[in-house]
Amino acid sequence: VDYRGYEVTVENFLRVLTGRHETAVPRSKRLLSDEGSHILLYMTGHGGDEFLKFQDSEELQSHDLADAVKQMKEKHRFKELLIMVDTCQAATLFNQLQSPGVLAIGSSMKGENSYSHHLDSDVGVSVVDRFTYYTLAFFERLNIYGNASLSSLFSSYNPSLLMSTAYYRKDLYKRRLEEVPVTNFFGSVMETIHTDAAYKALSRRNSGRFEDEMSLDQSVHHIEKRMLIKVNDGEEIHDSNPEGEEGACKCPWSTFRNKFQKAEN
Amino acid sequence: MELSFTQGRWNYESWGGFDPIPSSNAKPPGVELWAVFDAPQHLIDALWKNLTHTLSGLFCASINFLESSTAYSAPEWSFPPASGKLRYGTLPREAVCTENLTPWLKLLPCRDKAGISMLLDRPSIYRGFYHSQRLHLTSTGSGSEGMDPGIILEQTLTVVLQPDSQRASLAHASEKHIQPSWSLSSIFGKQISGRCVLAETSNVYFLLDRGLVAELEHIHKENEKSEENVLISEKFWNNPSFELSAKPDRIFIEESSLLSKNASVLYKFEIEKYGESEPFDLGLFWKTPVVWLCQQAPLHANRFLMGSGNERGAIAISLKSTQSSEGFMGSNSNDERCELRVDVFQVVPWYVKVYFHSLQVFVDQQPKAVSDIIEKIHVSPSKDKVSPGVMELVLTLPCSVSSAVLTIEFDKGFLHIDEYPPDANQGFDIPSAIVSFPDFHARMVFLENDSLNKSPEKSPVMSYTEVLLVPLTTPDFSMPYNVITITCTVFALYFGSLLNALRRRVAEEERFLKDK
Repeated sequence: VDYRGYEVTVENFLRVLTGRHETAVPRSKRLLSDEGSHILLYMTGHGGDEFLKFQDSEELQSHDLADAVKQMKEKHRFKELLIMVDTCQAATLFNQLQSPGVLAIGSSMKGENSYSHHLDSDVGVSVVDRFTYYTLAFFERLNIYGNASLSSLFSSYNPSLLMSTAYYRKDLYKRRLEEVPVTNFFGSVMETIHTDAAYKALSRRNSGRFEDEMSLDQSVHHIEKRMLIKVNDGEEIHDSNPEGEEGACKCPWSTFRNKFQKAEN
Repeated sequence: MELSFTQGRWNYESWGGFDPIPSSNAKPPGVELWAVFDAPQHLIDALWKNLTHTLSGLFCASINFLESSTAYSAPEWSFPPASGKLRYGTLPREAVCTENLTPWLKLLPCRDKAGISMLLDRPSIYRGFYHSQRLHLTSTGSGSEGMDPGIILEQTLTVVLQPDSQRASLAHASEKHIQPSWSLSSIFGKQISGRCVLAETSNVYFLLDRGLVAELEHIHKENEKSEENVLISEKFWNNPSFELSAKPDRIFIEESSLLSKNASVLYKFEIEKYGESEPFDLGLFWKTPVVWLCQQAPLHANRFLMGSGNERGAIAISLKSTQSSEGFMGSNSNDERCELRVDVFQVVPWYVKVYFHSLQVFVDQQPKAVSDIIEKIHVSPSKDKVSPGVMELVLTLPCSVSSAVLTIEFDKGFLHIDEYPPDANQGFDIPSAIVSFPDFHARMVFLENDSLNKSPEKSPVMSYTEVLLVPLTTPDFSMPYNVITITCTVFALYFGSLLNALRRRVAEEERFLKDK
């Protein structure tokens, strides 16, 4: 948990998304993503037609969210983004999105309410909403070695159980949902390549040495984050990139594989 | 630097206020952070800001709220360690949960996977009356006491738990009300199975404090009529009052202090001797009902609000003498000039505008002139939206005082609408005041053959008062919406009627058709 209590404000949320923090803000409170990251944005609470409520005193509007996502795209802060919203009239929150690479699903459509699932008699309030509950139920049924796709997740929502229609928007997302595994956003599957070479620490000036580069897929929860670790050496990428089309901003995954193949050769 | 996260209030009446344990571990609720910097004065505020942000990232708490100058203060001499480069801040409303405990545990070499910290079962800790996790950092400069320059990090977790009395009463007849027996496994649900391999020493100490030792000796003398002090003899762990389930490796007796003729007894259990096959589980089994008092600070400090309404009020700090103060002053109360020195340090946020000239002192319910009682005072008045009001006082009260009250009046200020927190109608907190007694040091010294010292640092006896909740006037947050709708309605009615009156012709269409 990086932001809690009075810190959960629309301003801080937008700062986290766009990366515009004050200099003193520590790394664990920043979204350290880059152009290869896959981000999961999950929001829940009270909401309505084109807004989401924060702390009962502020609102996040759909066009603010769309603006923030547009800024993120311009700054290459994500490659793919999944937005899940669990509020009343949730699908209206992503009406204004236009950036490519974004997939969004909401728990109810305009005019519909989303309901909670059950309440806990000790605490006295509802503990989970229906959409969230059925999402978790889907994941709990999964086999760890299985390869469930996003389309199976999206089609697992039953409108009569949810008491609302879960609506998703895939016009901005280029890949077919049947081909995208759920681990693309939920959890992280990394291709690990065993190497016998010793791991050398980052050194920026050596252009002649082969250096390892790691890039992790990153999932971002509403409040929780995992750190992105990236060891980047710009010169190596330029030298070893055989295609050399885009120069600087090539996806780090393909660059790594290229370098490794070059090393193997 | 010291950072503490606390939930609950330390009950000074029941749990004591004089020993090192309450004095250093009873902390104000929420987060308290103080730091002494070794840098030029003009850089300290910037360093403090960076420190608060870094700690907030490390411990997953909103410590970064202490960065603004309205949240911290710089006490000059009333808060130990007193120096010109100290910054002190506290957040009374910060909740403490397992998300804060986890990063704290990550600083330990074995976390909570091995050693004594394996006991830290979260539900047991959070079920207690009070829990507080504290980090104390000292940097040893080069050459002090022959130690290498470095940083010493001391972490303390203080938990006050109530043993489950239902389980304990099974063994005894129900007519006697015996204090509940407990064991580590009954409180935490776990046992210690070995020490952390990275730890140089791993010990469990069991302390019987002075009041208890006195009571037990008294009972023992009455029943056994034997002169031997059972608690430290060979058969101590099976004496008529209680039974311990494990045998201690060493016993220490406190070097008797001047103030009290009783001495506490400390049992030391070395965890190295225990392992997976033979886990360590300390249990205390009571045999006779014992009632004892924990040693209190000379005066018990309380704080409360006076007045009603949303315009003004008053803060009162009351100091009441406790029973053990007779024991304190016993040695020198014969001297009429005996005086008790009390330091008070209080920070009040800027929107509670305190009038320092209205400070009044009442000793034994008689008003006294301020200059008689207050020996030294340092006041830093609040500046709106810039800095809080800081008050540091030294009071000298006669040793035979039974009660003393300080009152100070304040006006309630207004905040800008954006500055109100989302739950503005709950009220705003005034952080705890710190009342300390520099004449008395909370110290326990245990000497053995090789003169092992425990808690040798000199720290004065300190106690924290309650946090006050001040309701401020809050605006009607729906007013902007109301104003806009009313104004628009008025404009619509006005312009609508105006245009109607100017341009509307009655029955114009019929006349046009008729003309045709």
